[in-house]
Amino acid sequence: MKALSRRSVLQGMGATVALPFLDAMAPARPTSAAATAAAKKTRLVCVEMVHGSAGSSAIGVKKNLWAPAAIGRDFDLAPTSLRSLEPFRDLLTIVSNTDVDPANPFTAKEIGGDHVRSSAVFLTQAHPKQTQGGDVQAGVSLDQLYAQRFGQDTPIPSMQLCIENVDQAGGCGYGYSCVYTDAISWAAADRPLPMIRDPRLVFDKLFSVLKVGTTQAERAERLDEDRSILDWVLASVARLQKRLGPADKARLSDYLEHVREIERRIQIVEARNRSGDLRELPAAPVGVPDSFSEHVKLMCDLQVLAFASDVTRVFAFKLGRDASNRSYPESGFKGTFHDTSHHSGREDKILNFATLNTFHVGLMPYFLDQLKNTPDGDGTLLDSTLLIYGSPMGDSNLHNHKRVPFFMAGRANGALKGGVHLKAPNGTPLANVMLGVLQSLGFHDMERFGDSEGALDLNAG
Amino acid sequence: MSRTMTTMIAVLALAAGLSAQHGKTEAPSLTGTWNMGLEGGHVIPVALVLKQDGETLTGTISMPTQRAGNTVDVALKGGIASGAFTLTGTVEGAKDPTTIEIKGKLNDEGMLEGRVVMTGAQGPHGDMPYTAERLKERK
Repeated sequence: MKALSRRSVLQGMGATVALPFLDAMAPARPTSAAATAAAKKTRLVCVEMVHGSAGSSAIGVKKNLWAPAAIGRDFDLAPTSLRSLEPFRDLLTIVSNTDVDPANPFTAKEIGGDHVRSSAVFLTQAHPKQTQGGDVQAGVSLDQLYAQRFGQDTPIPSMQLCIENVDQAGGCGYGYSCVYTDAISWAAADRPLPMIRDPRLVFDKLFSVLKVGTTQAERAERLDEDRSILDWVLASVARLQKRLGPADKARLSDYLEHVREIERRIQIVEARNRSGDLRELPAAPVGVPDSFSEHVKLMCDLQVLAFASDVTRVFAFKLGRDASNRSYPESGFKGTFHDTSHHSGREDKILNFATLNTFHVGLMPYFLDQLKNTPDGDGTLLDSTLLIYGSPMGDSNLHNHKRVPFFMAGRANGALKGGVHLKAPNGTPLANVMLGVLQSLGFHDMERFGDSEGALDLNAG
Repeated sequence: MSRTMTTMIAVLALAAGLSAQHGKTEAPSLTGTWNMGLEGGHVIPVALVLKQDGETLTGTISMPTQRAGNTVDVALKGGIASGAFTLTGTVEGAKDPTTIEIKGKLNDEGMLEGRVVMTGAQGPHGDMPYTAERLKERK
C-alpha cells in the first residue's frame, strides 16, 4: 500500500487536523528507521521571562538564588529558582554570568528605557532603534533564523505565544514603540511578529479553523460550547482508520483524545469567562484563563500538540510583560510582580522575588513532562526538543542587564550533552551562548550573532 | 652607558615628570553623560549630562514625571571645588515649583555618588541617594 504522506490531514468543512507521526507514513522502511528520521527534526521553544531574577542581584548571587554554586556536572539546584527542574537535571544546560549589553542605553535619551526596550533584545541580541513610529529596528531573532532555515517544510514555520496583554499601540515611554515591549520574535530587523495570547486563537490556527471558505455560520456553529472540532472531521477519521494497523489506530485515537481534551479545557475557560462572574483579568479575551498557571499550561499543551502533529517546530513564548503589576498568588506570595522585582537590594524582598522566579520556572517541568509523554517516532518529543528559558534583564532593581538568568532544557537530538552548569567569564555576552545554540542547531556557517564575540561551547564541562 | 640609552632615560624621566605634574593638577573631568541610579524605593535610571569648564559645571537632568515613561529635562548650574560638586535647577512648568539640588563627588571607581534633594513650596519632598556610571555613548 502506498505510504501515507506526513502531511496527510483530517479534513472537514470547518477544520483541518494534522496528524501525529504514524507507521503508515513510512511502511516501506523499518519502523524504527522511519521513526528516527522523522524525529531528527529539532523542535525549538524560546521562553522569555521579563525583569531578570533575584539571583542576578549581589545577594542573590551569594545565595545562589538562580545559578548553582558548583560549575560542571555536580551542581545542586536546591537553593536555586531552578529546583523544580531536578527531575530533568540531565537535560539541563545552565549558563550563568552572561550579559545582554545591547539592552543597555547607548545615548542619554535612551537612559531609563530599559523596561520598554529589553524584550526586543532577548532573542535578537540587537540594540533597538529608539522610535515610537513605524520605523522600528532591532535584529532577526534566534527563533526566526531557525524557522527561516529549518521550519519552511511545516504548514506554519513558527508561532509566537504570550501570556500577558500585548495589544498596546503607539509609544510605551522613553521614546520607544510598544512593539519593542511586546514582541520577542523578529522575522527581519524591521519586522516584529505579533504574539497570540488567546489559547482559542492558537487552537484555531493549528487546526486551520479560519481557513478560506469557512463561513461565519460554520465558525459560529463550531464554537458552540458542546461541539468539537472532531465532529467536523469524523468522516475523514473513519476513512483514515481503514488504512491503519492496530498500533496506528491506537496512536491516532490517543492523539484525537488529546486534541479533544485541550479543546474541552478551552471551552470550559470560555464558559467560565462568559458566566458573568467577576474576572481577575476583565480586559483579557474570553479564551484566556485568569489563572496564570492554567494559561501557561494550556499554551504548553498547544505547543506539544503542534509538535506532535508537525504543524510547526518553532515557538517563541513570552511569559510576562515588563512593568506588569500582576500578582501570582499561586506562588505562595501575593505581592505584585513589578514592585517585588524592585527589591531595593533588601534580602527579604529579594527572597520574595526569588519565590516568583521559582514559580515561573516551576511551570516548565509540566511542559517537559508533556513532551516526554508524547511519542515521536521511536522516542519522545522531548528527545528532539530544545527549550531555551531566559531574560534580557539581570538585576531588575538596578535595571541592569548583567548576570542574566538563562538555561536550556533538552538535548536537541543529541546536539547538547546537558547535565551541566557553565559559568561564563565576566563580561561574556549572552549572544555568545545564542551563537553556540545556533551552531549546535545546524548553523555551522554562522560566525556572529548580535554582539557575540565567539560561540560559547555548550558541551564543555 | 651609550648615548642612546642616556637619551632614552632622559625621555622617560621627562615623561614621568610630566605625568606626575598632570596628575597633580587635573582631576578627571565630569563632562559627559552619566547613567544615574536614583534610589527612591527602587533604583530609577535617570540621564545626567554634564559639562565641566574649570570649576564651573552646567548640565541637564532628565527627571521622570508622574506619567510613566515620560521625563522632563531640567537645566542645571553649579560648580566643583575640592572634589565635591553641587548643581541646582528648577523644574519649569510644574504646578508646585520644585528646585533640584544635586550634591556629590567622583569616587575611586570612577562613579559619581551623592544625594539629590527636591524642594517645593511646602519644603523638601525628596531626598534620594544616587550613584551614576559614565555612559559609553554609542550609535
